[in-house]
Amino acid sequence: MHAVEQHIHTLPTRGSTFTVFAVLAGLALLALFIGFSDLGPLKVVASLGCASVQAGVLAYFFMDLKQSDKLTWLCVASALFFTGLQFLFTLTDYLTRHLGVL
Amino acid sequence: MVGPVAHHFNNMAQQQASVRLGMWLFLVTEVLFFGGAFCAYTVYRIWFPKDFEAGSAALNVGIASVNTFLLLASSLTITLAIRSCYESDRKGLMRNLLLTTVLGTLFLGLKAREYHIDYQEGLVPGVFGYLTPHAKEAYEKERAVNPTLPETPENAFNENLKYALSHSKVYKGKPGEDYEPYRVQLFFMFYYSMTGLHVLHMVVGLGLLVWQMVLTATGFFDYSARYVYIETMSLYWHFVDMVWMFLLPLLYLAGPHTATQAMEQFQMAIGLGGGH
Repeated sequence: MHAVEQHIHTLPTRGSTFTVFAVLAGLALLALFIGFSDLGPLKVVASLGCASVQAGVLAYFFMDLKQSDKLTWLCVASALFFTGLQFLFTLTDYLTRHLGVL
Repeated sequence: MVGPVAHHFNNMAQQQASVRLGMWLFLVTEVLFFGGAFCAYTVYRIWFPKDFEAGSAALNVGIASVNTFLLLASSLTITLAIRSCYESDRKGLMRNLLLTTVLGTLFLGLKAREYHIDYQEGLVPGVFGYLTPHAKEAYEKERAVNPTLPETPENAFNENLKYALSHSKVYKGKPGEDYEPYRVQLFFMFYYSMTGLHVLHMVVGLGLLVWQMVLTATGFFDYSARYVYIETMSLYWHFVDMVWMFLLPLLYLAGPHTATQAMEQFQMAIGLGGGH
């Protein structure tokens, strides 16, 4: 049997599903709290940090990354990696143009 | 009952793994798709931070806040649907799929209402020339003080935005000093295109959910091993939820807002009074 065939998923319990939902709802409230606060330049950092944690919890539990095989993790890693490259090359291009003109 | 395994798979576990991988590969392309939009947004927000702050201040954060929780609840119900299918609970599966569909539809309904409010306030970028009655009155008062201004404003959006922000209870910026109205159009272009793309994905998701409800009714999911198709649908739905988690702080919370303002805006949106 190949590794992928041995990778049987067991479904989470209802209790754990509701717990994860409660965590996500709490993080959403935190995101709104950050959004309604006056944190200056830190606000966007804190907001995106909170959103990243929310996305991580959603992916790990609800999207079942917790039990996923290495190929799925490779998909996630490649998505993040290539998005990172997308941001890196675009920003290094655009943010080094029009210096002093805008 | 286990369910049929297609001939080109060794066993059910391999078939299920392939189904999941297919959806994950599609989601990788979706990350890159939305990533492009977020990347462009990042560039312009770094270039014009104050203008993006002003644009965000003009949005209805009340509706956005409620929509966040509607989507989260729909992620919960679709996750519960997976378990219902696994346990061969057809009624539970139908109920959870229906709940997910209803929550998603409520999201779209509130989104449509939000777009309508934005249109009524004249916050549509471009040269469409729709000047709201309030903005027209404010412009005429300005023209009475400064007769050198043209009879009709050059760009209706600029005047509509100036009126909307001047009447915000939270945003205190001044046009020309803190923001340039014509630059705020860039923000609104991103707002409509990014939320519009998200809406498009929601509509596709709702269509798929309805299809899965039809399949449930026909007994397709009576084979408990087919829960993997509900799980695959849930992957897509959770991804759409994930995109919203980033849209909320970048579009709606970039500018100053308060919880009181959010509640008032939501009440106003659903016709229970309140203000901007």
